[in-house]
Amino acid sequence: MAGRFRGRSLSARFGRPFVLFVFGLALLFLTLPVVLTFAGSFATQWVGPLPSGPPTLDHWEDVTMGTEVGADVAVGSSLIYSAGLAFGGVLINLVVGVPIAYAIARYDFVGRDWVNVFAILPLAPGIILGIAFLRSYPNLSTSGVALVIGYSLLKAPYMVMAVQSSFQSMDLQQLEESARSLGASWPRAFLTVIVPNAKAGIVAGSIISWTLAAAEFNFSYIVYSRGTPPLSIFLFNNITNASFLNAAAAVSVFFLLIALVTISLQLVGTRGARRRA
Amino acid sequence: MTAEIEPTANTPWVRVRATVEALVRPTSERERERRRIVALCLPFLTLLSVSGIVPLAEMLRMSVSEKRLVTAGFTLFHYEQLVTDPYYRTIAFNTLWFAVATTVASVAVAIPVAHALEKYELPGKPILLTVLSFPNSLPGIVAAFMIIVLLGNTGIVTNVFAVLSGRAPTELATATGVAGLFFAYLYSMIPRALLLLRGTYAEVNTDAEEAARSLGATPFETFRYVTFQQIKPGVIGAVILVFRTALAIFGTILILKSLLVWTLQINRELGAGNGFNIAGASAMATVWFACVFGFTLLAIRYTSAEVSI
Repeated sequence: MAGRFRGRSLSARFGRPFVLFVFGLALLFLTLPVVLTFAGSFATQWVGPLPSGPPTLDHWEDVTMGTEVGADVAVGSSLIYSAGLAFGGVLINLVVGVPIAYAIARYDFVGRDWVNVFAILPLAPGIILGIAFLRSYPNLSTSGVALVIGYSLLKAPYMVMAVQSSFQSMDLQQLEESARSLGASWPRAFLTVIVPNAKAGIVAGSIISWTLAAAEFNFSYIVYSRGTPPLSIFLFNNITNASFLNAAAAVSVFFLLIALVTISLQLVGTRGARRRA
Repeated sequence: MTAEIEPTANTPWVRVRATVEALVRPTSERERERRRIVALCLPFLTLLSVSGIVPLAEMLRMSVSEKRLVTAGFTLFHYEQLVTDPYYRTIAFNTLWFAVATTVASVAVAIPVAHALEKYELPGKPILLTVLSFPNSLPGIVAAFMIIVLLGNTGIVTNVFAVLSGRAPTELATATGVAGLFFAYLYSMIPRALLLLRGTYAEVNTDAEEAARSLGATPFETFRYVTFQQIKPGVIGAVILVFRTALAIFGTILILKSLLVWTLQINRELGAGNGFNIAGASAMATVWFACVFGFTLLAIRYTSAEVSI
């Protein structure tokens, strides 16, 4: 009680306002440019502090149709190309990620901790893996195959973590043994009982690893050489070569994609998976 | 006394063959379980080898190559250069101090933000959470663009300060300076630190906090001696994660170009100006990889921090 009578301490008076001030500042810092960019993509000019002029769809048209100057490719082809590459990466991630997540969650074996570390920790970041790919798979880089296998390794941890969080909420041993005692062979029990039970984690993991693969810049930048640019290279070309407002429109296309993915993740409703990824 | 070695048992080769045989044709339930574990891990280990270990080994070979266009010969020239050339030493120093500074700043911001999110009644919390984690999905090049929007010549912050100080916006624009780069790094790092800290904050024991308050501790004392002790593993985890991220940032620096750091120089080695010096780039990439990978393993080994991605 003694403290109460000494009058309120500094932190009691200023603690909460200070924390809220930092919170507000961080919120503004993280969201203001997103809002401004999106608004700017519809503006006719942006010479002052705020984008201005009557709303126009010109920049969106430039981005979706492609222009002759600067970043001249239309976003459509890049978007479809990246979506396809990322989808290939997700397919590989499903094949490698779900089984290893199950092995780690269900069984106890020698070296399990190390397997876990390698499964949930990205081995090397994009730029390093990109350099490593340059001469290892020189002929695959133009076809996009190198991009797919690179993406799948880079994003595998997200899949493993999402699936693991699904597995952790189930009694795996009992599930497996019930299925087996009802006559299912082990592979059948795994594929028809265990995997469907982890559906939420698998869907969440797929969405997360797809988004991150579609947005991967560092690896794509080093490995990509010619042909349709992946989405992130398209963005880079727009940011560095196109007019500021066209760049704003290109970045906004990307915002919409992320917003779409965020909404679908919320619909899937796997909060545990989202927290970790 | 003759220590006779049995030719049939316990030689490594025989043991390997027995293990493989047991995996292919298991006879006991224990062996069957072992076969399952191997079958479950095999796809991932294949991917890890094909797209991780093999290319990284090739990168190591490239870094000691004497020739530029093919991997041949052996020389440590590129490593020697990294150690002896002051130019490269400056880059290493830049990389480290900048990573430390941005790590400290972003974790220092993320702690109060996580605190406010978990402890205070904020209106529209689900929306706030979505909005705050949105930048996690943005690549570094977009983070750089965001900073140009805030701090560039037409940037809103630049213009606010221009009005307040009466100076020209172009004089005040910092987007392409080191300060701009600092904020661009924070843009990527704060949401990441926040993600990890929120997880830890959710598990804080509120009874202990209330006990401390009722015993007369001020809010700050409560935070320092009770709350902070509990979120410490999360803070350490966030520092590890964010420091790794800071070292790996590439897209942001590629656009803003205001400080010569390791990843930017790796890219420059590959450029036309350096005659596609892939051996040099590989040496830099190898050193980088060894440092970050070693750091992460040590961090996992010696802290109980839950290191997420």
